[in-house]
Amino acid sequence: MALMGNEAIARGFVEAGVSVVSGYPGTPSSEVIVTLHEFGAGSEIYVEWAVNERVAFEIAYGAAISGARAAVTMKAPGASVALDPLISSAYGGVEGGLVVLVADDPGPHTTQTEQDNRWLGPLAKLPVLSPSSPQEAKDLAVAAFDLSEELKLPVILRTTTRVNHAVGDVVLGPVRPPQRFREFRKDIPRFVRAGMLFNLERHRWLSSRLELTEGVLTKLYPGANRVEGSGELCVVTEGAAYNYVREVLEDLGVGASVVKLSLLYPPPTEFLEDALRGCREVLVVEELDPYLETVVKRVLYELGARAPVYGKESGHLPREGELSRRLVAEALVSVGWVPKTAVSPPAGTYPSPPPRPPPMCPGCPHRNTYLALLLAIARAGYRRDEVPIFGDIGCYALSFQPPFEAIWTEHSMGASISMAMGLKVAGYGGPVVATIGDSTLFHAGLQPLLEAVHKRVDVLVVVLDNSVVAMTGHQSTPAWGTTESGRRAKPISIEEVVRALGADRVYVVDPYDLDLTVEVLTRALREPGVRVVVARHPCALMEVRARGVTRRYRVVEDRCTGCLACVRTTGCPALYYSNGRVRVSEGDCVGCGLCARFCPYKAFEVVEVG
Amino acid sequence: MGRRVVNVAIASVGGQGGLTLSRVLAVAAVYDGFSVRTGETLGMAQRFGSVVSYVRFGDSVLSPTFSEGEADYLIGLELVEALRALRLLKPGGLALVASVVKPPLSASLRREELPAEALLEEISRYARTVRVPAVELALRVGNPRAVNMVMLGVFAATSGTPSDSSIRRAIAEVVPARWVESSVRAYELGRSFVLSGS
Repeated sequence: MALMGNEAIARGFVEAGVSVVSGYPGTPSSEVIVTLHEFGAGSEIYVEWAVNERVAFEIAYGAAISGARAAVTMKAPGASVALDPLISSAYGGVEGGLVVLVADDPGPHTTQTEQDNRWLGPLAKLPVLSPSSPQEAKDLAVAAFDLSEELKLPVILRTTTRVNHAVGDVVLGPVRPPQRFREFRKDIPRFVRAGMLFNLERHRWLSSRLELTEGVLTKLYPGANRVEGSGELCVVTEGAAYNYVREVLEDLGVGASVVKLSLLYPPPTEFLEDALRGCREVLVVEELDPYLETVVKRVLYELGARAPVYGKESGHLPREGELSRRLVAEALVSVGWVPKTAVSPPAGTYPSPPPRPPPMCPGCPHRNTYLALLLAIARAGYRRDEVPIFGDIGCYALSFQPPFEAIWTEHSMGASISMAMGLKVAGYGGPVVATIGDSTLFHAGLQPLLEAVHKRVDVLVVVLDNSVVAMTGHQSTPAWGTTESGRRAKPISIEEVVRALGADRVYVVDPYDLDLTVEVLTRALREPGVRVVVARHPCALMEVRARGVTRRYRVVEDRCTGCLACVRTTGCPALYYSNGRVRVSEGDCVGCGLCARFCPYKAFEVVEVG
Repeated sequence: MGRRVVNVAIASVGGQGGLTLSRVLAVAAVYDGFSVRTGETLGMAQRFGSVVSYVRFGDSVLSPTFSEGEADYLIGLELVEALRALRLLKPGGLALVASVVKPPLSASLRREELPAEALLEEISRYARTVRVPAVELALRVGNPRAVNMVMLGVFAATSGTPSDSSIRRAIAEVVPARWVESSVRAYELGRSFVLSGS
């Protein structure tokens, strides 16, 4: 059947008998848990989002030391959030299989950096597996559990966007019943990292387990590392890059042996020595860092082989961005394996229509909040360039675009508050504002807030609370009373939490009440201490889904002068300019009325809809 | 060069149903026994932004995407996005475009006019182009959001793949139940637009 890579991974988890799955939403990893919510309803499998990746990892680890099979999912930067417990887990090890899905994003398409998490292998000393296709993603997900259990180590399943989000034909396997708690035996040297002698001993244990990896995986999944084709020209590759390599070699009629790796750490040295022994030249095709390239060079050195190695360090492939069929073909030309004429030049010149980056949606409450903030800054007597607005990670970061150009930074989860604090303690005299979403606050914003409160730093924190993790496709937050799986949960109140953390002032406003929001923000800008303004209104997409659209706006043609006040104030994508007038895209307007409010000519009128 | 693969690029504005279209094509192609890959970018607030989906099916497909100049077909759910994605088409490739314009904010802020006729004309300067009154056809089934399904019918009738029966099964599998009936009718209208020119 046709499955997306992430759906295939979810299926693999179920086939392997997973019983605890946790994670934090993050593109391109989110659909694994979203899919399991469908598989898992009413089953024995615990599938829930956690407040952040480290908590998610620790939940899964706690399950796995008791013999349960557990998995945890995260995007690339999430792996950094989970790094502390991840590294320690290699020393304690597991009893039940534990698979850590880390989804990297060469491109990058939706991630702040092109972090290459294959390095987690050597850093955390944990096995790293990497699939190339949805089918292999499913198969390796199953194999990863068996490998983990046999080695007694967590296993990292490292994917990239072009595997997570590729749809392909997948053959399913049998499903094992969920493997739940068996026993948790007190074993102090194993699980207490307070004893330094234990730690040294466990480090030795870890090294001895890692040495078994290649042999165990080869037994569990014989095709994990394989050579396809033959010849003295060798291409070493893995992950999404393998697909481009195979197709391009075939399309260009190049006879070469393709050395395809699924085990990236520890490098399958025995396999590689056999595979590379007869190579006259080696091209390494991989995305992001020259990780395999260093492995290949080491193996060739051990073999005493003098074959030249081409790749990123030789400049034949880029270190940045994702690869493509074209880049691989061009690399084959530049290493001289195919004539230049075999690869057609890039397409000629084409028109470049006006850009269309994703904007805030029509009716988005964040639009109102940022607009109110900009108006409040003026009303409080400041120039815009006197009040730095720190942003955070979520849809609201789209406010960096015209016409708002509101936020000055977007850095890492929760950093808005701590970076604003840093600016103040460095000596900045004016007011500073941190803007942070509800789920980002829960994820990593509460400790920065605590820090700002404790050190008595003057900062205005605006919580853009749309009551959902919107950007990654509307996942639950700790404020929900029922999770996606149907679990009854205790809703956490943001205002109660920030009051308990000691914020000096706490306000709650509905940004759809623009006047009140401007008033509150103006007051808060002038006050000392840590002020928290919770601007709460549901995500417009969720609200429309729940309640439908009851009214829309349209432009009365002869009243519109085409002055663009509405477009320039709101940046709403339901408005557009045509024939000298502004129009409303009927199917896109959700009736928030912000445009009408800022029209100097009263050119908008309401249309009630059924 | 022996491999036979059909490369389809779908250009749309986020929210128009480009991803649904690509998924229906993929599922239908699997029913037909093809090897299939699609490549997309999901997740981040893509709504109202430029979206390109890649669909590939044939004898043996591995890569989820293809490069510029490799698409056999470009399906445009919107004209500005179709224009932007033209570079993906191979020489001699076919552009199937819905006569829909959603001017981007960046154009409106500059008072840039983007009339459909001018966009269509520009597109047809670069590629053989089939223009489809997709909104009118979608409105005929009472579902203005079914432009994607109209274009599915146009593509299937033009290319001859995937098969009609597989597409019907795929729509029923992929599209939420309450939209299946109007989606199928929109697909049929797209087909007959090509086959009978109405």
